[in-house]
Amino acid sequence: MMDLSKTKQGIHKSRGGLIRSFVTIENGIIKDITISGDFFLFPEEAIFKVSERLKGAPANREKLQKNIEETYRREKIQSPGTSPVDFTESIMKALEG
Amino acid sequence: MEEWRFIDFGLVDIRDMMAMDEAVLKGDEGNTFFFWTPKKSIILGFFQKAEVELNLARCKDYTITRRISGGGIAFSDDRCRQINYGVVGTIDNDLFPLDIIESYKQICGVLIDTLIHYGLNAAFRPINDVVVDNKKISGNAQTRWEGKLLQNGTLLLDFDIEEMLRISNIPREKFMDKKIASVREGLTWLDRELGEQRDMDEVRSIMKRKFEERFHVRLKPGNLNRKEKELTESLKPKYYSPEWVYR
Repeated sequence: MMDLSKTKQGIHKSRGGLIRSFVTIENGIIKDITISGDFFLFPEEAIFKVSERLKGAPANREKLQKNIEETYRREKIQSPGTSPVDFTESIMKALEG
Repeated sequence: MEEWRFIDFGLVDIRDMMAMDEAVLKGDEGNTFFFWTPKKSIILGFFQKAEVELNLARCKDYTITRRISGGGIAFSDDRCRQINYGVVGTIDNDLFPLDIIESYKQICGVLIDTLIHYGLNAAFRPINDVVVDNKKISGNAQTRWEGKLLQNGTLLLDFDIEEMLRISNIPREKFMDKKIASVREGLTWLDRELGEQRDMDEVRSIMKRKFEERFHVRLKPGNLNRKEKELTESLKPKYYSPEWVYR
């Protein structure tokens, strides 16, 4: 389990719910990430694929969004009222915060 | 007329209920509508983190578990004036639409019809809420599995805002009065809307009738079958485990 006290938190409200991202970065690379919140996403387990793919990836908006969109395609994710842009926004807020 | 199964699970431990909930979805008995009444409890949405959402030191006398669907916390105080329901249905684009928001709207229609029966101005508010005069009175959560959907939801007859805020992880307690006022603006419950308490069995029986009318079926009382009971037993350890609840 991730130690949340050592991470930066980003909060973004999408139409489908609140997204809280907990992120640690090292030299511009995402070291660890947990995405939580009260949004909806099917299939639910695919959220772990989203964060898994972001570990080791560059922590910039463009790359984040591209990686999340790729996981959406691969896992056939549906998330009413929440999009890859919303997840990206939440993570960016953590990075900027 | 087609018959679907109806179950009233009564007063339940929420961990057992979530195991039965998943077992009905993953079982083989077909479309089912059910009620339950939770003991003092908190159910986390699939993606929520307990220590982020809750003031855990204040939740010691609550049973906490997590459900398999997303969305926010479902909180039940010991007044027990909440009607909790579940629907398992085969997705077919007619009764249970493939489109997620459309399927929420269809099932939430049962609650709306019930509230309209009581003369209230109830409506669906996408994605998953039922509102009376734009105040939320019912929260709903859906998941899907192999061509079927499971929707859980709650209809508030009463709600203890102060207690909900007390157990929530809200940092600035000095603004409590303001916070209570703002929750009161956005949330409501049947007793408050009607200015009197209705019998819960009466409300449940109207909901059941509105369900039958909406889906053009007859609800036939039943129980979990053998396979579902076995499935329930195999799922229970998950809902009792700290690894699942506090992950």
